[in-house]
Amino acid sequence: MLARKIVLAVLGLLWLVPVYLLLANASKLPAEFGTYGLWEPGNLGALFTNMADAWDRGRLSQGIVSTAVYAIVSPIIAVIIGAAAGFAIVALRLRNGFFWFVVIFASTIFPLQMILMPLFVGYAQTGLFNTRVGMILVYTVIATPFSAFVMRNFFTGIAHQVFEAAVMDGASTWRIFWRIYLPMSTSALIAIFILQATFIWNDLLLGLTLTQSSEIRPVITALSALQSTYGGSAMSTVLAGGLLVSLPTVILFLATQRAFTRGLSLGQF
Amino acid sequence: MSLPAARQAELVPQRKPKNQFWLSSIGFVAPGVLLVAVVLYLPFLWTTYISFTEYNGLGDPEFIGIENFRDMFADPAFLNSVLNTLYWVIGTIALPVGLGLLIAVLSHGLPNATLFRLPFLIPYALSGVAVGVIWSFVLQTNGALSQALVFLHLPGSELRWLLDAPLNTFVMIGASTWQGAGVNALLFGIGLQSIPKEPLEAARVDGASGFTLFRTMTWPMLAPLTTVVVGLSIVGSLKTFDIIWGMTKGGPGRVSETLALTMYKETFINNAYGLGAAVALFLTVVTVLASILYLRRQLADSRSI
Repeated sequence: MLARKIVLAVLGLLWLVPVYLLLANASKLPAEFGTYGLWEPGNLGALFTNMADAWDRGRLSQGIVSTAVYAIVSPIIAVIIGAAAGFAIVALRLRNGFFWFVVIFASTIFPLQMILMPLFVGYAQTGLFNTRVGMILVYTVIATPFSAFVMRNFFTGIAHQVFEAAVMDGASTWRIFWRIYLPMSTSALIAIFILQATFIWNDLLLGLTLTQSSEIRPVITALSALQSTYGGSAMSTVLAGGLLVSLPTVILFLATQRAFTRGLSLGQF
Repeated sequence: MSLPAARQAELVPQRKPKNQFWLSSIGFVAPGVLLVAVVLYLPFLWTTYISFTEYNGLGDPEFIGIENFRDMFADPAFLNSVLNTLYWVIGTIALPVGLGLLIAVLSHGLPNATLFRLPFLIPYALSGVAVGVIWSFVLQTNGALSQALVFLHLPGSELRWLLDAPLNTFVMIGASTWQGAGVNALLFGIGLQSIPKEPLEAARVDGASGFTLFRTMTWPMLAPLTTVVVGLSIVGSLKTFDIIWGMTKGGPGRVSETLALTMYKETFINNAYGLGAAVALFLTVVTVLASILYLRRQLADSRSI
């Protein structure tokens, strides 16, 4: 027992070293950066100055509202669409249901690279390029297959009698979906939401390809640009920016870790 | 001998009664199917077509047969990118999966297991770009890592971590391990919880312990989950983009590119849409083949047990 704890603790500390280096060096003003050693801690005032700098001059502030919208709206729509598909297949016993499930789910095997160029060209032609609607659309579609996968599995665990009883009582399928099946699956819905919101918040590739202006561009793409332009001269500003855009997902993920594990373990395996 | 009529009717396969909900079942599945068809499958077909054409994004694509693929395989940078992608696949199966399993097994059943797993989960919530920002800082020539090696009197401080190939690919796999081990530990943790206690207890009574217990009992029972985790890792590693974009952008030159980066650069930087599409198609074929081969082997193995 003790040996296990020691190995885990040592590994864990090793894992935290880069986090320490991030914090230590994000809290040194660019002007004073050279006077510190890389392993020395900085000070809290400089951390806030650097964050403010990345936020303002680094233009992270402009993309953050859009990114929040993408990361909240798209997973919600995707979770509902995925749940609806699962509901059709499991509760309503859609004909050839498994085939349609495979159609939706198989699309996740293909690399994103396969759709980038057509989306870029298609978005440019339809006026969706560099718009919030376009980004919400693509993120929703990307999140849908996983959501259908988990929800189908989850609904399989709900006895079909629940559905039959509701039909007996005269409820419409629409009502059964919204009032019975969705409320019964909150843990799975939340798990999918967290996972997909994190994925969307952290996305680089779609943001890089389908957006241009700093108000539409997701923050991660903006961070990547910040790194390219500031990299050499103001490393600490870049590090502070990296810390800043990572805080929402790290907090969300750690705060919901338990609910998340429960939702997934109920859903599959 | 003839059966009573009622019994006979039972044996005749009944025609399936028409599903009274067929209309609404189509209504519920339609949004998902339509979105996937328009935004994923249609572009997918378009890319496949473009890979056989010469196209720069303007005007009309011109059909040129397999010329893009011939160019692609003749390009040393592409072949190097294939090699790097292979490094990523092998490295990702070995390191994040192996370490994830180790962390899960060590922390399983410990009081405060969540606390012990916490340091590994923090990096998982970071974006690949943020991971790249941190690690490119740590791995700068004469950066934090090199200084630490000097301080500890260890060799290697003179290495140019991000500048020399294939060293830069290996250290980026390390950064990706830092990010990915936690979620594998989480998944293996779920698997360990679902293993029934009785067989383990029985084996322990019979005198098995430590590594023997793990090898003969836990590992076989974890197999279904290992299949999932390794499968996800293979598919994920073939698509690696963010960390590399955040650390070397595939450079210096093109030495640390993977297929995902080669596709992006050919298409959006060189405007060679046809060639980019050919790389994308190649990557897709490799991914699908790898998944099929892997799953078939796994399924065959589990049948033979």
